Amino acid sequence: MKKTVAAVVTVIVVALVTFVFYDGVLNKTSEADFFSMKTYVTAKVTGYESDLCTDEIQKIVDNLDVNVLSRTAEDSLVSSVNKSGGGQLDIQTAAYVSLLLDVCEKSGGAFDFTLGAVSDLWKFGSTPEIPDPNALADALSHSGYKKISLEGGNLVMQDKSAVLDFGASGKGIALDSVKAYLETRDIKNAVVSVGGSTLLYGDKDFTVGIRNPEGNAGSYIAKLHMNEGCVSSSGSYEQFFEENGKRYHHILNPETGYPVDNGLVGVTIVSDSGLLSDALSTACFVLGIEKGSSLAAEYGCTAIFVTSDKKIYIEGDADIVEITDASYTYGN
Amino acid sequence: MLHTPMEIKLFRKGDIAVVALIIVAALVFAYTSISNADNLQAVITVDGEIVETVDLSSVKEKIVITPDTQPKVVIVAENGEIRFDSAECDDKLCVNTGSLKKGGDTAVCLPAKTVITVEGADVDAVVY
Repeated sequence: MKKTVAAVVTVIVVALVTFVFYDGVLNKTSEADFFSMKTYVTAKVTGYESDLCTDEIQKIVDNLDVNVLSRTAEDSLVSSVNKSGGGQLDIQTAAYVSLLLDVCEKSGGAFDFTLGAVSDLWKFGSTPEIPDPNALADALSHSGYKKISLEGGNLVMQDKSAVLDFGASGKGIALDSVKAYLETRDIKNAVVSVGGSTLLYGDKDFTVGIRNPEGNAGSYIAKLHMNEGCVSSSGSYEQFFEENGKRYHHILNPETGYPVDNGLVGVTIVSDSGLLSDALSTACFVLGIEKGSSLAAEYGCTAIFVTSDKKIYIEGDADIVEITDASYTYGN
Repeated sequence: MLHTPMEIKLFRKGDIAVVALIIVAALVFAYTSISNADNLQAVITVDGEIVETVDLSSVKEKIVITPDTQPKVVIVAENGEIRFDSAECDDKLCVNTGSLKKGGDTAVCLPAKTVITVEGADVDAVVY
C-alpha cells in the first residue's frame, strides 16, 4: 500500500513540476508599458526570453525615438538633417526613407513626410488652432517630397526649409525594429503596440479590434482574425478640435494643408511591414476609398475603410474582417 | 512479501485521501479564478507604475482619485464606471474619451503619463 501511495504521489509531483516548469518558464508572459514617441507603448511577450524582450523593446523604441526619428529631440538624426538641410543617413534609416519616398511617389503625394512645418502650424498635441492662411501657404511652398532625394545614403534637400516629420510612419518603423529584434530571440509570440500601431508576432491566432470612432480607446467595431503581421489605423477621431461648429482633425491633405474631408473616419491597414501599415493608413485616408484601395493593392496590403455613415469597405483579404458592432454594415 | 489477491486493491484509504485533497485544491483554484474573472478591475498607472486598482463591480459611491502627476488629472469611479473627470493638460483627449465600463476599455493622458485600463480585454489589441 505504501508503495502505491508513493507511486501516486511521485507521479503527481513529477506532473506538477513538469507543468509548472513548462508553463512558468517556457510559456511565461512578460508585459511592459511605457511612454515613448509621444505615445503610449505596450508590449506583451510570451516565451522563454520574454523578460529580456520587454526590457529590450523599451530600449529599442526609446533609442529610435531619441536618437533617430524625433524632430524635437535635439540630438536625433532627423533633427540634425532638418537643421542642416540634409545629411548622411545610416543604412537602416536610408532604407526606411527610400521606402517612404516610394510610398510618396506611388500615392501621388497623398503621403508626404516633409510636412513638418505645415503640421506645426496646427499645433496638434498641444493647443490646436486653425493656422493663418498665409503662414500655411508659405509652409506648404517649402514642403513636398519632391524637394528631397536620397543619393546613396545621403539625404539631399533642394529646399532647406522642408521639415522631415516621421509622425505618420515612425510608429510603424518602431514595429519593424522591434520585429527584427524579436526574430533573434527565443519566444513564442508577442503583441507590441506603439500608439495605435500594432505588431503581432509569432505562431498564434490573433484577434485585433478596429477602434470604435465614437468610443474610447479600447472599444471596437470590428475584429480582425489574423496571424503574424502589422496593423495600423489613421482616424479623424484621434486628435481633433472644434471651432465655429466645424471639426478639424490631424490628418492633413498635403496638397491643401487642411484636414482631409472625404467622408472617411478611419482607415486600417494590415501589412507584413510596420512602416507600410503606418504610412499607407495615412495615404489611404487622404486618397479615399477608390484610389486608396488601388494603392493598398499595389503594396499587397489589406485596407479597411470606415466611413462617417457607418459603412465598412474592404480591399484585400475580406475574410479576416468580422463586424462586431451591429450599427456598421459592409459597403462592398 | 507476497500479496494475497485480497490485498491487491487499486486504491487504498491513503490514496483516496490524496486524490480528494487534489480535487478540492483544484476546485478552490478554479473557483478563485472564476470569481476574480467576474470582477471588473480598473488599473491606474502613472509612467508604467500601478498607483491604484479599483474594483468597478463593487463601486457604488463616487470615488475620486488624484494621482501625483504633472499636469494634474482627476479620475472618478462611480456606478461601475471610471473616467478622467478633468485634466489640466492642453488637449483633454483623456477627458473626451469618456467613461470606461467593460473589459479592455482604455483611456490615456499622454502629458500626465497616466493610463486607466479595465482588465479583461477579449482581443489582443485595438488599433486606432
